[in-house]
Amino acid sequence: MKFNFFHLMPWCDANEPDREWPVSNRNFVPEKGTDLYRTYIDTMIYAEECGFDWVGCNEHHFSPYGLMSNCNLIGSILINRTKNVRVAMCGNLVPLLNPIRVAEEYAMLDVMSGGRLIAGFMRGIPHEYVAYNIPPDESWERLAEAFDLIVKCWTEPEPFGWEGKYYQYRAVSIWPRPYQKPYPQVLMSASNPDSARFAAERRAIMGMVMLPDLDAARESIRVYKETAHANGWEPGPEHILIGAHTLVCDRAEDAKRYLGDGLDYFYNVLAGGPRTAQRLVVQKTRYYQDQALQQRSAARRGVLKATPIEERIEKGMILCGTPEMVVDQLKRMKDALGHGVMNINMKIGNIPDEVVRRSMQLWGERVVPHVHNL
Amino acid sequence: MTFSLTEAKLAKGALPYHVGGSGAPLLCLHSAGGARLTSALERLAATRTLYLPVFPGFDGTPTQPHLRTMEDLAGLAAEFIDNVVGQPCDVMGHSFGGWVACWLAVDHPDRLQQLVLHAPAGFAPDGAPGLPTDLAKLRQLAFAHPENLLPDTRSLDIHRSNRETVDHYLGKKTNDRDLQGRLGDISALTLILHGTKDGLVPVASPRLLKERIRRSHLIYVHDAAHAIDVDQPARFVSLVEDFLAVGEAFIVNRSRDSAA
Repeated sequence: MKFNFFHLMPWCDANEPDREWPVSNRNFVPEKGTDLYRTYIDTMIYAEECGFDWVGCNEHHFSPYGLMSNCNLIGSILINRTKNVRVAMCGNLVPLLNPIRVAEEYAMLDVMSGGRLIAGFMRGIPHEYVAYNIPPDESWERLAEAFDLIVKCWTEPEPFGWEGKYYQYRAVSIWPRPYQKPYPQVLMSASNPDSARFAAERRAIMGMVMLPDLDAARESIRVYKETAHANGWEPGPEHILIGAHTLVCDRAEDAKRYLGDGLDYFYNVLAGGPRTAQRLVVQKTRYYQDQALQQRSAARRGVLKATPIEERIEKGMILCGTPEMVVDQLKRMKDALGHGVMNINMKIGNIPDEVVRRSMQLWGERVVPHVHNL
Repeated sequence: MTFSLTEAKLAKGALPYHVGGSGAPLLCLHSAGGARLTSALERLAATRTLYLPVFPGFDGTPTQPHLRTMEDLAGLAAEFIDNVVGQPCDVMGHSFGGWVACWLAVDHPDRLQQLVLHAPAGFAPDGAPGLPTDLAKLRQLAFAHPENLLPDTRSLDIHRSNRETVDHYLGKKTNDRDLQGRLGDISALTLILHGTKDGLVPVASPRLLKERIRRSHLIYVHDAAHAIDVDQPARFVSLVEDFLAVGEAFIVNRSRDSAA
């Protein structure tokens, strides 16, 4: 089992739920921002010492939900200050961006790191489309075309041009080309059957985070494997990434309390503004391709928000407790899903950074030795 | 835009051809499917005079015993330019016609100006499959959007006969090593078009052409198979028109003002 230490880089001084979109930045304090970036980056570097195999960044816009509007900037620092961990860009939000720029920056990260890049091709959550003024209806088509174009950028031995529906370039030849051959391992979100199919068709690692329950995850994995077989390849455990909000403490009650408070802040404060934009996108566009998927996604968000912490642990939605408890929870989850990569997010909402750091230390000393060979 | 079918009297024999449009001449060399008029060609004819000769053996015409190779057909095309077009001209070849167009550029460089190679055949790597004999399979591999095809008045017998004519010129050959060795001789500025869903020409072919033709541009057309003009007519016309109009400056994104 491989473990990705994932960080959202949240802003922790928003005191009341925000319902507006975009979230006003009038209360952003640059000096605090400087301290936060320093703390967060140091925490991510520390992950290597704590036995994590990957360190993960992602991209979000226009809210205190996350301060990584361009996660490649953070990835560049991580690469420079780590030696062996792979650096997983769990962004970029490819349909929102210039694909040539994504190809170039990912190639830079891959070459600078000596081939340690995991290249995320994310579609993005709905509110990001409002931020960058891209029609949400076009999200799937843009992602598909951008993927094809970026792979061409990475693999074509001669200059080429591209004439597509969304992207047109007459002469492309990126410098550098990626380090990994034929190109960096790709990671895509696959939290529903449609996205699982999309990822399998492109031989990407499938990623599922914030699970509502294990049955939904099993269904996506089934579709992913079935599609992979139809496309002539056999995915292994290393192609399945499962994410979980995680906190390890010396005492179980502390873990539940800190994680419970952090989740409340995450869902009720940080996610408030994005949820407003998301509601508008879902109501007014075809971001979700059919009604059933839209309803399932809404239900999933409701479940995630409303389920008590004990029940979330029991259902395998989160990892929480003492090191020994978390080892058991990890083993149960592995037995249930057969995955080979876990996305571990410990900085949930406003959980204090010293608590996160202690959780990482316990992880490295008392969890990893029991689960690395799963 | 209407095209008329007429006939040229050449030293090598009679050669029927379609002609239509107005403007600078553009010689179009057809694919193994024969001389097919598409909406894209009709649009190109708004600014160009298009000539579409029908190679002997295609579309119900007889083969000619002294014309057996692609190089022979290139010689015929050169004679057509001399006698019908009357001046060196831009040349566009599709698939089988792209193969002929490359021979034309190698053997008769003074006859052509700029060259457009639309999914050209003849440059597949060793061991690549040849053209399928099953017409349904052929159609499946050739078109990503067959719904864009204009109604075809040609009979099934004509289509079968066209397929047999390909063997007359090529046998089982998919790879023209002689021509590959001479691609470096092509001096014309060349546009190579390849569809990302092309099921007939492997991607190694346009790469080889791009590598060896010194002054060339390779463009991938997304969501198009072997007949890019059918699958993505607007993109095809835009690329070809722009390339033929401004040549090397084709890579520059020009504003409306500078285009004017």
